[in-house]
Amino acid sequence: MAGKNDLDSSKKSKAPPKMGFSDLAKREERLALRLLLPALLIILLIAFYPLAQVFYTSFTDRVFASGEETNFIGFDNYRRLLSVHVTELEPVLDETTGQQLTDPDSGEKVFERPLDILPREPVRYRELNQFNLFGKRYVIGATDTNFIESVQNTLTFTVISVFIELVLGLVIALVVNSKFRFRGSMRAAMLVPWAVITVVSARMWEWMLAPSRIGMFNALFDRLGIIESPIAFLASGGYQLSALIAVDVWKTTPFMALLILAGLQIMPEDIFEAAEIDGAGKIRQFFMITLPLLKPAIAVALIFRTLDALRVFDIFQVMLGQSTYSMASYNYFQLIGNRNMGLASAIGVIIFILIFVFAVSYIRMLGVDEE
Amino acid sequence: MLKRNWMFGFVLLLAALTLLVVGCGEPEEVVDDPEVVEPDEVVITVAAGAVGMELELTRDLAEMYSEANEGVTVNVLDTPDMVEDRLGLYLQFFEAQSSEVDVYQIDVIWPGDLAEHFVDLYEYGAGAVADDHFPAIVENNTVDGRLVGIPWFTDAGLLYYRTDLLEKYELDAPQTWDELEEYAQIIQDGEREENPDFWGFVWQGNAYEGLTCDALEWIASNDGGTIIEPEGVITINNPNAIEIVDQAAGWVGTISPEGVTTMAEEESRAVWHAGNAAFMRNWPYAYATSMADDSAVAGVFDVSPLPAGKSGSGAATLGGWQLAVSKYSENPEIAADVALFMASHEGQKYRAVEGTFNPTIMDLYDDPDVLEAAPFFGSLYDVFINAVARPSTVTAPQYAAVSELFYNAVHDVLTGQKNAADAFEELELDLQDLTGFPVE
Amino acid sequence: MKKGAGIFNLIKRIAFNLMIIFILVYLLFPFYWAVNSSLKTESQLFMTPATAVPRDPVTLEFSPTFQNYTTVLQDGQFLRGLANSTIVATSTTVLALVAGSFAAFALGKLRFRGRKPALYLILAMTMFPQVTVLTGLYAVITALGLSARISMIFSYMIFTLPFTTWVLTAFFKELPDALMESAQVDGATPFQTFRRILLPLTAPALVTTGLLAFIAAWNEYLFALTFTSIDPAARTVPVAIAYFTGAVARQEPFGEIMAAATLVTVPLVVLVLIFQRRIVAGLTAGAVKG
Repeated sequence: MAGKNDLDSSKKSKAPPKMGFSDLAKREERLALRLLLPALLIILLIAFYPLAQVFYTSFTDRVFASGEETNFIGFDNYRRLLSVHVTELEPVLDETTGQQLTDPDSGEKVFERPLDILPREPVRYRELNQFNLFGKRYVIGATDTNFIESVQNTLTFTVISVFIELVLGLVIALVVNSKFRFRGSMRAAMLVPWAVITVVSARMWEWMLAPSRIGMFNALFDRLGIIESPIAFLASGGYQLSALIAVDVWKTTPFMALLILAGLQIMPEDIFEAAEIDGAGKIRQFFMITLPLLKPAIAVALIFRTLDALRVFDIFQVMLGQSTYSMASYNYFQLIGNRNMGLASAIGVIIFILIFVFAVSYIRMLGVDEE
Repeated sequence: MLKRNWMFGFVLLLAALTLLVVGCGEPEEVVDDPEVVEPDEVVITVAAGAVGMELELTRDLAEMYSEANEGVTVNVLDTPDMVEDRLGLYLQFFEAQSSEVDVYQIDVIWPGDLAEHFVDLYEYGAGAVADDHFPAIVENNTVDGRLVGIPWFTDAGLLYYRTDLLEKYELDAPQTWDELEEYAQIIQDGEREENPDFWGFVWQGNAYEGLTCDALEWIASNDGGTIIEPEGVITINNPNAIEIVDQAAGWVGTISPEGVTTMAEEESRAVWHAGNAAFMRNWPYAYATSMADDSAVAGVFDVSPLPAGKSGSGAATLGGWQLAVSKYSENPEIAADVALFMASHEGQKYRAVEGTFNPTIMDLYDDPDVLEAAPFFGSLYDVFINAVARPSTVTAPQYAAVSELFYNAVHDVLTGQKNAADAFEELELDLQDLTGFPVE
Repeated sequence: MKKGAGIFNLIKRIAFNLMIIFILVYLLFPFYWAVNSSLKTESQLFMTPATAVPRDPVTLEFSPTFQNYTTVLQDGQFLRGLANSTIVATSTTVLALVAGSFAAFALGKLRFRGRKPALYLILAMTMFPQVTVLTGLYAVITALGLSARISMIFSYMIFTLPFTTWVLTAFFKELPDALMESAQVDGATPFQTFRRILLPLTAPALVTTGLLAFIAAWNEYLFALTFTSIDPAARTVPVAIAYFTGAVARQEPFGEIMAAATLVTVPLVVLVLIFQRRIVAGLTAGAVKG
């Protein structure tokens, strides 16, 4: 794409200059290309091969670090990751009465076991979830429940944590942007969570969330009398995802806040002065002027936070082991643990597509790229 | 003019950065080999553990070898202590067929997976010493009749127990899981009155490789097989395995904290070390740390083989590390010689005496010098000789996937999401899909 | 002024200050806990309930230990890691800012065909999880024969360059076009416009962007671990910390890790504070008031 433009512009530049305007446009175009050159060179040199390789490998059965022959297998990796099957579960009837059986322990109605009716070929569909619709019971099966669950976890994690970070980031940025005495130290304090090395911060939080009074939270809650017995924050179900969201919010709100703060700082002050003269109240000013002007800053902050959140790795890997995956930690397991490079690449491509969808929809929604 | 201006600046910047980086790099390149390398000298690089004492002892052995063999310099490259990180690094080297590292320290579950990258040590004279080592470990390192790694030091699960508390409640060390359960409950009930943080039994219940080790010990001790038998038969779905795993699930929240399903070795040791547990399942490393001056359990604990189930004897999962020689090495003969030297009687004795690393050579458990340095080694011999290997060699290269399915199935049982019968019925199907092995 | 406004203002000020205190506690408390943990021995760390300051397990007297700091500082790897991290993160930031601001100037202020594809192409660089591109990247690095530090600097472009480019594009766009046009009328070349108008006016944004990119590069672990595996002398701080070990295998030196985290974070923040002012001042100095 860049090359084509380059050719076009060089061709045109040989033509004799005509009108001032188009000449200016051409000069602008050439300048733009030259300015883009370093960035494009870096992409070409560093990123092109690895990215192309990921796309290509995702269509093969390549095994990582192995001399085994690699075969092209089309969309098989994607099929394995994404195949989902929904089927109805028949009620189990009592042979004599013809009534549906109920479980004597739980008192719930008994249905067929998903294991018995979900397809087994070409690979087994494992139970992902069950739901009721119009009085019937259905089961969702997937060939790779780990992956589907990792997508669910990651999306939930991303949407909630990015939203909280945006709100908190906005509040903190506005507070810090107003003039007060300890503004300098406040800005320094803002950096601290972001500056703590990610791997270490995950370990630190794991320690604070320890399932006994060794952990800060259990010790504190116990002291305050909130809890009877220690909570296992990171055990499956329950608080797992909430705990991770809390950690991520702490760690990355400063990122959001600093970017928004930068957006606030380059705002021309005369606009506010004009608004003040017009008699607009503070709140009105915020919604009518500040927020619209902040849109571009918010958009990039959102894009990069979402991008990082969708690729979240360290905190899942360190704090949850292999019990609950994020997309990236499942990817890591498939590549390093399982050495299934083809499948891992396919996961990478799916993450890529998801991020792309998010990025484009942010830009559309906030209307920042209109021209 | 403008164009040159900034392009020039950019190039200049790049050049400056390059100089800066290269300039800072050069003089430090050779930190790891203090000796000057002669042009015709052979350099052998050993990738080994980074832990303080471990690294030091490996360096000592490397130096000994270099001194005894003129023209050879042995370097030690430290690698991360986190097992996944270490495996990740090794895989990058193998993918690039790198000749940078000649000898690799590999985990007991890797020989099958990584066999294609290693030479057959039988071709380099390992046959003469192979019989000195524990047979189970040698077996584990043998892939298609090739010896891909020479055992270096070993590890196995142990039961740690509080001698003072057993005495207080007039109990003996538990011989079976049932006894352990009973005693743990008695002690816990008694201690809770003074210490609300006290638990009967801590172990490794998080969903990771460590749970495979713990659960394999329960199952093997209950005559429930080893998930997949060495001859390639899936046996996990059997009543004995189901029974013991259901029993273990009953421990969670009673004699073990709810949070045990999030614990790895260090988390369970934290409970134990502070004197908040009566029993702990852990590896031998916790012996040394529990003896530390400020430990609450120093002098009031002991170790024994793990309790037995139906089989009548306890089982310990085999851990430990081997040395393997890279196929991509430029000097495989010398590299193999270095590996065999480090894992030799002399090399292992040195490490056992200086750093209490558990030898894989059986004789050393009778050696007076070794026993003097580490008296508890005597009782470990039985543990190691009976240790159970994880089914890593037979399922290679899919062991990681097998283990992941297994520990997640067990974890589901421990956290109450499934019962063991359902979990293992499904696991059996999954293992069939994955490995293609028959069911018993 | 109406009456009652004084009280209202007072309440407002109190509320504002409470908010600031709340934010500060939220941001700093976990870090305080890291500092607290770094001053504890293993036995103190394992105490139940956890103590808010290091206390003796038996007597419960205040007894901090500095052993963790001594160990960390005596570890040559850690200090060398600090130097390496500084070199790598600084170079990465400078390179990403220079290349990024050029690109952002074009993408934010100039009209040309292929603008949008170029924007997305640059963003696409960073949309894969790190571990997925690692293998390909390692192959590139090996093929080019780059040294460990250079490999890190270049590979960090994967996540810093798209970031700087996009953020700066957004900020450049914000500036009114009238500024540029008036400069052009005055006969300034586009580059002069860039240097004299765009950069100074967006200086705070530039500094923030650089800062965020710097810390991202500073904290990177996976690439660094892989590229420095053969060259221990080039290891950065996160890698050096990962190489910390206890006395025996499997033992995690938690106190030392926390000590290292403290030792790394505090100077980083202080340095950033100092540099921030300098850089902003420097950039604004050459400004032509719009």
